[in-house]
Amino acid sequence: MRIEHPGPLLPELQRGLLIKINVNGNSIEAYEGETVAATLLSAGINIFRLSHNHKQPRGIYCGMGICYECLVTINGVHAQRACVTSVTEGMQVETCKELEL
Amino acid sequence: MIENYELAVIGAGPAGLEAAITATEAGVKTVLIDQYPQAGGQYYMPLPTAFNATRHTGTEKEGKFIVDLLNALPVTRIYNALTWGIFKEENEEDWLVALYGSDIPKYVRTRMIILANGAYDTPVAFPGWTLPGVITCGAASILVKTQRIAPGYRALVTGTGPLLLSAGAHLIDAGVEVVGVCESTRLLPKGILYGPTMLGQMHRLIEGAKYISTMVRGKTPYKMGWSILEAHGKDHVDEAVLTRIDNLGVPISGSEEVVKVDLVVTGYNLTPNTGLARLIGCKLEYLPKKGGWVPVRDKTMQTSLPGVFVVGDGAGIGGAENSRLEGRIAGAAVALNTGHLNHQQAGRIYGQLKPELAQQQRFGKLLGDLFSPKPELITLALDDTIICRCEEITLGEVKAAVADGARTIGEVKMITRVGMGNCQGRMCEHSVTAAILQALSAEHVSPESVGHFSIRPPLHPIPTEFLAQATIEE
Repeated sequence: MRIEHPGPLLPELQRGLLIKINVNGNSIEAYEGETVAATLLSAGINIFRLSHNHKQPRGIYCGMGICYECLVTINGVHAQRACVTSVTEGMQVETCKELEL
Repeated sequence: MIENYELAVIGAGPAGLEAAITATEAGVKTVLIDQYPQAGGQYYMPLPTAFNATRHTGTEKEGKFIVDLLNALPVTRIYNALTWGIFKEENEEDWLVALYGSDIPKYVRTRMIILANGAYDTPVAFPGWTLPGVITCGAASILVKTQRIAPGYRALVTGTGPLLLSAGAHLIDAGVEVVGVCESTRLLPKGILYGPTMLGQMHRLIEGAKYISTMVRGKTPYKMGWSILEAHGKDHVDEAVLTRIDNLGVPISGSEEVVKVDLVVTGYNLTPNTGLARLIGCKLEYLPKKGGWVPVRDKTMQTSLPGVFVVGDGAGIGGAENSRLEGRIAGAAVALNTGHLNHQQAGRIYGQLKPELAQQQRFGKLLGDLFSPKPELITLALDDTIICRCEEITLGEVKAAVADGARTIGEVKMITRVGMGNCQGRMCEHSVTAAILQALSAEHVSPESVGHFSIRPPLHPIPTEFLAQATIEE
């Protein structure tokens, strides 16, 4: 969830403009400046993909673009890192999408 | 048309920023490349440009100061650029740096390279560590500090190193209930010996005191000699089991405690990000107290490849101040090697930096001595625990490969596919090495004989359409 009343270590801030992105067909509120991972987590979506072999749920792990666990489909492009991609108005995000070969 | 530079600095954190500034100030034609939209790296961690803060933390201010210095110089900056390969040109003198991203050049050509690729949380595999809700300290910091997202309601922080305190305190200030911070290292009495070193690190003591007071306010216990044993849950973590561990890192049976949590934050100190150094063939050495495999360097931070330098935590964990100093030393060395500084001028810069470098190296040694995770932490993983997250290879499969005769990490990779996935082995190398060493403890094997994963381009997964069009046009 988004932090609304932070403690002293976190200075107050103003998020970017309120925008909408589309996740698996549902419209979800996001703020400019957020990463796809942050928006998904704030909407309660924790499972970003299913592992290839065993179809186990996976979500954000390293959070900095190293581990490739948080891959989602963005605007039709497969295997994008949710943790390093910023949201944009009208972005289409799909989680747990099978790669069509 | 490929632009030519004298120096390409890859990575715009504390080390890369200082390297680019020092070299450019001396007149070196420099390009600075980073994969994120803004300079700063994981340490300075700038807020998204769309966010507006009412005030800035000390670290943010320091980062802004350095980035402003950089921006005032005639240095080319290429952000949002993944470096997927570095290739030697036919003239045997220049390097071609291959980039992936939109609206950026596909290649730059350069005479010299400074790699400043930073570090990431050392992954430790335990049952349940692939569940959503198990994240690293780095992820928790980014989500809380720059994204302002609380990634859970009730958290356990576990691992080793000072970053646990930072993660725990920031989670508390984000409104997360932190049920405990488990530090696997027993810091006392050994830690007392390092008191004098810490007195030279006053800003770090002040920072640490802030985190501790936040934890006291949050009534969060700091449990030394404890670790997570398992995370449970179906589609998401809902429970964690803690255990006391002995001085080697082996769980003490019968000491388990169960806590209900929806977030587990793990960080077993840091591992240098050496992918590009490996890819271009820098000689590496195994220094566990520096975080594992690190490039061999001379005093100017130059690697076994002439003209290729590695600086900062990507060359061995030493902290941000050490990284900045190393960046300046390498920047000056490049300026010397490209004829922009003479020996006297470069020597003067080195002489100025040397005393502070020695002090920071003492701090780096403290980090390594106290917080290097024990390889025995591999005993947290069970035979059916996945240790290669990408290819979903279990500890049992690695052991079976060793039983079948594999003796090096390369052989285990060929048999099992560990390390062949998207992350190129960054998440599993420590675990696979530890598993091989443990399985062969009766034989004469060492981390050196086990070896490290080799990296080939592309370093990151790149769409094949992009690669197909990545022809070199002069």
